[in-house]
Amino acid sequence: MATAATPATPPLRGVQPLRAGQGNSFFWRKLHSLTGIVPIGAFLIEHIVSNFEALNGPLAYAQQVKFLNSLPLVRVLEWGLIFIPLAYHALYGVFIAIRGRSNVNVYPWAGNWMYLSQRVTGIIALLYIVQHLWRQRFTGVMLPEHPGAAFHKVQMELSNPWMLAIYVVAMIATTWHFSYGIWLFAAKWGITPGEKARKTFGYVCAVFGIALCLMGLASMYAFVGMDKYKNAPEDVMPETTMSAPAASATAPLPAVATVASSK
Amino acid sequence: MPSTIKVEIKRQSNPGTTPTTEKFEIPYRPGMNITSLLGEIALNPVDVAGKQTTPITYDSNCLEEICGSCAMLINGKARMACSALVDKLMGSDMAQPITLAPLSKFPVVRDLAVDRSVLFENLKKVKAWVPIDGTYDLGSGPKQFPQVQEQRYPLSNCISCCCCMEVCPQFNDVTNFVGAATIAQAKLFNMDPSGAVLKEDRLRALSGDGGVQECGFAQNCVAACPKELPLTEAISDMGRDVFVQKVKDIFTR
Repeated sequence: MATAATPATPPLRGVQPLRAGQGNSFFWRKLHSLTGIVPIGAFLIEHIVSNFEALNGPLAYAQQVKFLNSLPLVRVLEWGLIFIPLAYHALYGVFIAIRGRSNVNVYPWAGNWMYLSQRVTGIIALLYIVQHLWRQRFTGVMLPEHPGAAFHKVQMELSNPWMLAIYVVAMIATTWHFSYGIWLFAAKWGITPGEKARKTFGYVCAVFGIALCLMGLASMYAFVGMDKYKNAPEDVMPETTMSAPAASATAPLPAVATVASSK
Repeated sequence: MPSTIKVEIKRQSNPGTTPTTEKFEIPYRPGMNITSLLGEIALNPVDVAGKQTTPITYDSNCLEEICGSCAMLINGKARMACSALVDKLMGSDMAQPITLAPLSKFPVVRDLAVDRSVLFENLKKVKAWVPIDGTYDLGSGPKQFPQVQEQRYPLSNCISCCCCMEVCPQFNDVTNFVGAATIAQAKLFNMDPSGAVLKEDRLRALSGDGGVQECGFAQNCVAACPKELPLTEAISDMGRDVFVQKVKDIFTR
């Protein structure tokens, strides 16, 4: 293996030279980049596709919630593939954002605006997700145990026009962040190195992002705009009570029986 | 036709002092560039108020955008003074003052001259050379395919002006990002049939803190580069090569 000693570095003022081969920031940065695509991006697609069931009414929506919560090891999946990667992506993303020095005021170029937009949409998504998880996942009616209450819970949330506005802004920001994130991933991992490949893939990501965003906005419309689903019942499956995973781990048989009897 | 050219220059006499702005008015001549404008001030270093001052210190050499020494902030943007034409910088009414300032991310030596050693240090860190020093004649080098040569030639046009680093939002004293120029030179020498012998060293160097991963793909570098190097393509290619090298190293080292 050919090697050559690296020459000594004199002390410098200002920006310091590359710390050749030192540190672990490469690993953490690549992990940040990868988690944005899988599992977080994959989950975002799943979430928007699942929400799209709301257009088929409260019962269909409840059945989708029930289906997801009957996946094997669902709490492990939820923490291992959603919460933990999301928390890492979010915190490392904030770390990246505060270390950048945006200069769109001097260089107002398209790529530079997108650089800034990726940071702004990321922060918006983070703030939104914290309140969304708190209000929809960890407080109020517990949807994993009461899937039938899902439609009503979301409908109540979106009945507040301010909250609806927050959801619309967050939907645009999140799908923007994800679709440009896919483009960035392809560019930075060397999947689309050429100018032409990047341009073409840019159109693909734009169409994908817009489609995802429109699907999400359409699902919101099902909760607040469709007359036939107005004033949905508090629980469309009152007889369904899914066991909490802690209980099912200690007593698996009754848990199965509960789910089976509710069908 | 304007009678004078108004110039505002951010100056400081040594690295430690607070910068001040001096204003000049130079008799108009058509077809000037910024280096000839600075030469004009040096001939008669008197500011707009008639106060005697010193000639402006700045780096320049070739005066034809090939040496890379005269990069500065002209009307706020990083570019080469020699190829910045005064007639195009005075606005549509030909009366706007032209502002000159040193590059903002490099330590000022004096006036518009900055210390760009960090680029030279970075080029050393990634071993941006072909290691053929020896005591005897090695004969002719290996042949290069024309396709490889065509990819390498644009990268060899780098003039080390540091514009790509100045305009990069990630190049700052927090990230200490290596910058596009060094990444492009690593690709240039990795693609050289003789230089490729140090390929793994270069890739491992670029995976260090401040390496290729710090790029945020704002693409300012490629827009600002006076020599139009395919910098984003180089970052993309090196990003992949560094990743592949790191994965290989997990299993083989």
